[in-house]
Amino acid sequence: MAKTYDYLFKLLLIGDSGVGKTCLLFRFSEDAFNTTFISTIGIDFKIRTIELDGKKIKLQIWDTAGQERFRTITTAYYRGAMGIMLVYDITNEKSFDNIKNWIRNIEEHASSDVERMILGNKCDMNEKRQVSKEKGEKLAIDYGIKFLETSAKSSINVEEAFFTLARDIMTKLNRKMNDNSSSGAGGPVKITENRSKKSSFFRCTLL
Amino acid sequence: MEAAAAAVPAPSPPPSAAAAPGSAELVCAEGRNLKAVLCQRCGSRVLLPGAATFTRRELLLPAMRKKAAAAAGGGSGDVVREHWLVRDMFSFENVGFTRDVGNVKFLVCADCEAGPIGWHCLDDKDSFYVALERVAHE
Repeated sequence: MAKTYDYLFKLLLIGDSGVGKTCLLFRFSEDAFNTTFISTIGIDFKIRTIELDGKKIKLQIWDTAGQERFRTITTAYYRGAMGIMLVYDITNEKSFDNIKNWIRNIEEHASSDVERMILGNKCDMNEKRQVSKEKGEKLAIDYGIKFLETSAKSSINVEEAFFTLARDIMTKLNRKMNDNSSSGAGGPVKITENRSKKSSFFRCTLL
Repeated sequence: MEAAAAAVPAPSPPPSAAAAPGSAELVCAEGRNLKAVLCQRCGSRVLLPGAATFTRRELLLPAMRKKAAAAAGGGSGDVVREHWLVRDMFSFENVGFTRDVGNVKFLVCADCEAGPIGWHCLDDKDSFYVALERVAHE
């Protein structure tokens, strides 16, 4: 059967346990439908289909649930990942402080051109907030990463987050393809400001 | 997270396990699914029309409902025989995969995690089964 999609992106959800990574994978907050059988086994990954600029994109989203310690997440887990959501809990300062460690872990183990995004989750719980939005934004700016506060429970910014990450991956991919085709065609070499520092070919799965 | 399922009306009443689903009206001449495959609970879109082929195979799926699962002691479920067979994992619109249970992964709704709605054996990378009686068709 012919391929029915334009892009396939592998995304990871990374962050301390309890920050609500798993909930970001739900459309509905209450997991009442979940049988004990399924919650006991746990979900490995989900496939989601979205449309962006008329392109059909398959997202394969992996959750680290149960293996959140830095040392257990290594190269094998990051292999092929094109986008990473770094998630902390706005009511848990420790989870925010750990984002830096997660970023270091990514730099150590993931592909250098992986797209990243920081999410401050549980923004519906403002009365228990320990991390200000400004602090989150500041961290994101320091690392040059996009930032959103989300609430899986109230469905705030969850869709936006995945669309934004997918769009950034697509933009990067298209730019690389343009770069490659223009230099490969033997025509004039197009010089763009946004050219990435390293020449490592983006490990895409364009099927 | 994608808009597709939002427009989906309430799913049709789920066919009970006792009454065999009328698979004849769901299968086209080429043996493919005529209708879209949806979650019975939340209407999330699992497969587009034509994405799977009808097949028969006896598979044991753990119970979908909490009570039934508890009554069965969590250890057993239903033997299901009619399935939509999907050859490429990425033919699914939206679906969740459980962690491994032996060499099997169960399929669940990506949105509400109702399930198991299907079955995948790690020994056969190109076969994903979705039980007709555990999904809705539209």
